[in-house]
Amino acid sequence: MRAPSERAGRTRLGAWLLVGVLGASAGMLPSYAFAQEKVLRIGQLGVMSGPAASWGLINKYTAQAHINLINEDGGFEIDGEKYRLELVSVDDKNDPRVAIAGAERLVHQEGIKYIIGPNVDETSRAIIPVLADGDAFNVSYGWQRELFSPPSENTALGMIAGYQSAPLIYKYLRDERGVKTIACLPRNDTSGLNSRDNCVAAAEQLGLEILSSDSTYEPGTTDYFPVVGRVVEQNPDLLVLSGVTPSDAPLLIRAARELGYEGLMATETAMDAKIFSEVAGDLANGFISVGGASAPEIRTDYMQRFIDEYEKVAGEWNDEAGTKVYALEMILQTIKQAGAKAIDDVAAFKAVVPEVDALNPFISEESIKLGWIGDSDFQQKRQIRVPMVVTEFQNPDFKTLFIDTVE
Amino acid sequence: MSRGLLRPLAGAGLALLALVYLVLLPVYFSHSPYILRVVSIASVLSVISLGVWLTFAIGRINIGQAAFALIGGYATAILSTRFGLSYWLCLPLSGILAALVGTVLGFGILRLRGVYFAMITLSLTEAVRLAFLNGGEFTGGASGIPIIPLPGELSLFGVVLMPSFQTVNTHLAFYYLAAALLIVTLAVVWRIGTSRLGWIFRSLQQNEDLATSIGIDIARYRVMAYAICCFFGGIGGSYFAVSQQSIYPNVFGVPDSIFFILYCFLGGLAYVAGPVVGTFILFIGFQILHPLQEYQQLIYAVLMIAIMLWLPNGLLSLRWHTRADRAELARLEGREARS
Amino acid sequence: MEQVIVNGAISGMNYALMALGLTLIFAIMGVLNFAHGQMYVLGGFVMYFVYTVLGLGHVAGFAASIVTLVIVGLIFERFFFRHALRMAAREESTMLLAAGTALLLESLILVAFGEKQRGMPPMVSGVYKLFGVYIPAGRAAVFLIALVAVVAFILFMQHTKPGRALRAIAQDKEVSALQGVNIERYSALGFALGAGLAGIAGALLVSLLAVNSGLGTSVSIKAFIMVMLGGAGVVSGAIIGAFILGFAEALGYAYIPGSTTYLLIFAALILFLVIRPQGIIGKPWG
Repeated sequence: MRAPSERAGRTRLGAWLLVGVLGASAGMLPSYAFAQEKVLRIGQLGVMSGPAASWGLINKYTAQAHINLINEDGGFEIDGEKYRLELVSVDDKNDPRVAIAGAERLVHQEGIKYIIGPNVDETSRAIIPVLADGDAFNVSYGWQRELFSPPSENTALGMIAGYQSAPLIYKYLRDERGVKTIACLPRNDTSGLNSRDNCVAAAEQLGLEILSSDSTYEPGTTDYFPVVGRVVEQNPDLLVLSGVTPSDAPLLIRAARELGYEGLMATETAMDAKIFSEVAGDLANGFISVGGASAPEIRTDYMQRFIDEYEKVAGEWNDEAGTKVYALEMILQTIKQAGAKAIDDVAAFKAVVPEVDALNPFISEESIKLGWIGDSDFQQKRQIRVPMVVTEFQNPDFKTLFIDTVE
Repeated sequence: MSRGLLRPLAGAGLALLALVYLVLLPVYFSHSPYILRVVSIASVLSVISLGVWLTFAIGRINIGQAAFALIGGYATAILSTRFGLSYWLCLPLSGILAALVGTVLGFGILRLRGVYFAMITLSLTEAVRLAFLNGGEFTGGASGIPIIPLPGELSLFGVVLMPSFQTVNTHLAFYYLAAALLIVTLAVVWRIGTSRLGWIFRSLQQNEDLATSIGIDIARYRVMAYAICCFFGGIGGSYFAVSQQSIYPNVFGVPDSIFFILYCFLGGLAYVAGPVVGTFILFIGFQILHPLQEYQQLIYAVLMIAIMLWLPNGLLSLRWHTRADRAELARLEGREARS
Repeated sequence: MEQVIVNGAISGMNYALMALGLTLIFAIMGVLNFAHGQMYVLGGFVMYFVYTVLGLGHVAGFAASIVTLVIVGLIFERFFFRHALRMAAREESTMLLAAGTALLLESLILVAFGEKQRGMPPMVSGVYKLFGVYIPAGRAAVFLIALVAVVAFILFMQHTKPGRALRAIAQDKEVSALQGVNIERYSALGFALGAGLAGIAGALLVSLLAVNSGLGTSVSIKAFIMVMLGGAGVVSGAIIGAFILGFAEALGYAYIPGSTTYLLIFAALILFLVIRPQGIIGKPWG
């Protein structure tokens, strides 16, 4: 039992420590630098650690590389004035709790109105109240329809969703490669299971027979041998890895091939050729996924310049970056269309969304222009129009199979 | 300086602290949701850690508190979304439910001590997480339960005790809820500490055989302490469920369980305020280190280990007395004071 | 079914390597090394770095992993645990210090190796098919190397002087000290050896399972399960626990959907430990 005076001393200390710590945190409030030049700050919130780290990192590197190019060219012009761009990046660790804190930090502490990310359904869903509360807008890479449909107004889809690409991919494989049976193997979390549901829906729509769709693997597992074994036993023509992360895909492919599976394997999103080559090598040949603007058939000189800058920022190119390069440009073009007031006023931004119609600087396909789409899927224009490039892995690169888009 | 003067000083310190915590901070930051949220989270994490502190008090290393926070969270989620119960009912019910689960489990596992008890509680954390993951329709599986409604109005006989959280500054409302939970929990645990129950718990910690020999039913009291611990875990989890308006299996996991004991330990196991000080300093410290980006976790770990090695009895054991205090102490301990 | 048995056996051998290091440290120092999983991850990253980035081949990779982990083990023992074990009034102190070291190691790995998940091609490519069972050559190679490592470890403990000293300390620290065994030096050796085993496990398994900086906690948990199941501090216990876990996992994944397997494993473990806390072969504790 402690003497009362000791307790008093310690309680006092505790009090002062607490006051000190809180005071310090108050001091961490950002002081806005009143710079001479005009600065436009864009936020980026995504998963930058763990097995899905490349998803968020790619958002960060693409945005940063693009910003570097724009600043190098003198800045981005809005209402006749040049703005220097700045990126503020926060890791959400793929955890909705951390995403909420990160979004609040960006919106309330840093005063940012436009955010690129997050990367999956759970984190995107979690920050919707924060965006509504703080009147901010984000371009998300989750797919769930609720994210982009009313009453949610401040979130847009930055890529082609699985339920949009899957039917196109499966149709191609059914018609060109004679696929009749399919199995879907998802990761056991919200995004994975949603992707699996999309897989099943698309398969049913196209008349493919579904041999297996309820096997799952835990996020964080790395031993796929036991799980894949079950699915491979059914011997489907096409095995879809629903919602697979770029790091897990090569291991899953290896497990399937090592268990004797000889059919086609595919997924609905972008993968990383380097990891494929490093981990699975030739075993991954023939794997079908989705690529982006970097496809040589459609890239512009500006895209080439972007690729070079990206390699400087990130150390190496990643094909997935080709699918995520559009978000920043879209945000900037829309702000430009609405005028400088849109920098702080998201309502002005949203008002001009239906009118935006600009050339996409990254692709030479002039029919696919930059604009907002999405009326059929979301009853409002909350998706960026981007090209969909379906690719096949041939060690060590991805080869283009066909190019399409959605409206 | 006589003893008589020390008490008012302690009182003044506490009063100042209360002023900052309950008035100055929330008013100054009433429109900074981030800061309000950080302090609110620290407050509720302290509540959960105080529960763990109680199990330390009976001599057990409890690395399972995250399980009960999760149970509390899901209880609130299910009761409010499936059964439409008001949050003001869900909150205590979640705590009670967690305590019930703790009681049932406690009878089985509290016979063990040391590393064996620690490992069982660690397994419990994972088991509970997996149980909710595999709960099918009832618990929502991997996506959990979204869109938990904000706390509504609480009124008694037409008098509004608590306004609906939607109609006021929500962040501020949650801040005060968190503060209330912390203050009540601290009061309860402190009261237990100074009561006969606390005396019994301490005797269990020191020597269970001795306790039995003077007629204490150790099994019953051990379970009681554990159940109270789980209760606090449950209400903490309930708060998180409603403030995030969603719950899913990964909200509380093994790293959280480990952090709860670390908070207790680093604050100082000998003091009731230990878990609170530990939680606030460590949690807020981590947030402050955010600008360090990838070095944030590293510096944090280094600081933690430094505290563990330098202050093995926790932060609150820092000696910070005036010379007169030391004389006072020495006199109390029956030694000659040095001048 | 045969495929399940083969999968279980291979997993079991991998896990045995994971569990040995943990149980050794517990036997010698009474500390449950929370950083065990992170040591495994470090071994994997070092192997990746030496093999893929530096291109120096598997043997250099193993050597580098072992050396790195031995150094880490020595540093941890000397600067963290030796002090704590002497001063600690409560046993919680060392356990929580171990948890702190786990966080430290994980942060260091994050800073040094980045957040991306890294994998490697199998050590040997190709697949064998025996009696209707697929055995990838890479997995077979890992199985054999792990077997050799485990056997080497057992021989070391039984037949060499340091090994016997370690076993003596594990059995009764005070009596060993009285008989002149230098406890401090052998604690350092024991810890370094435990860390080294974790490193070998990581280096070996990175070609099968890949590593990322967040993997440490789940590896630690698996190691804890095996060690507690078989009997903490007993080498044969760790091996038995490892194989039980390996087979349970293989069976579970084959016949029960997804995560329910581990739910059942944990529930069974808790029940088992309540009835028999010392594990299958462990010493009954007082």
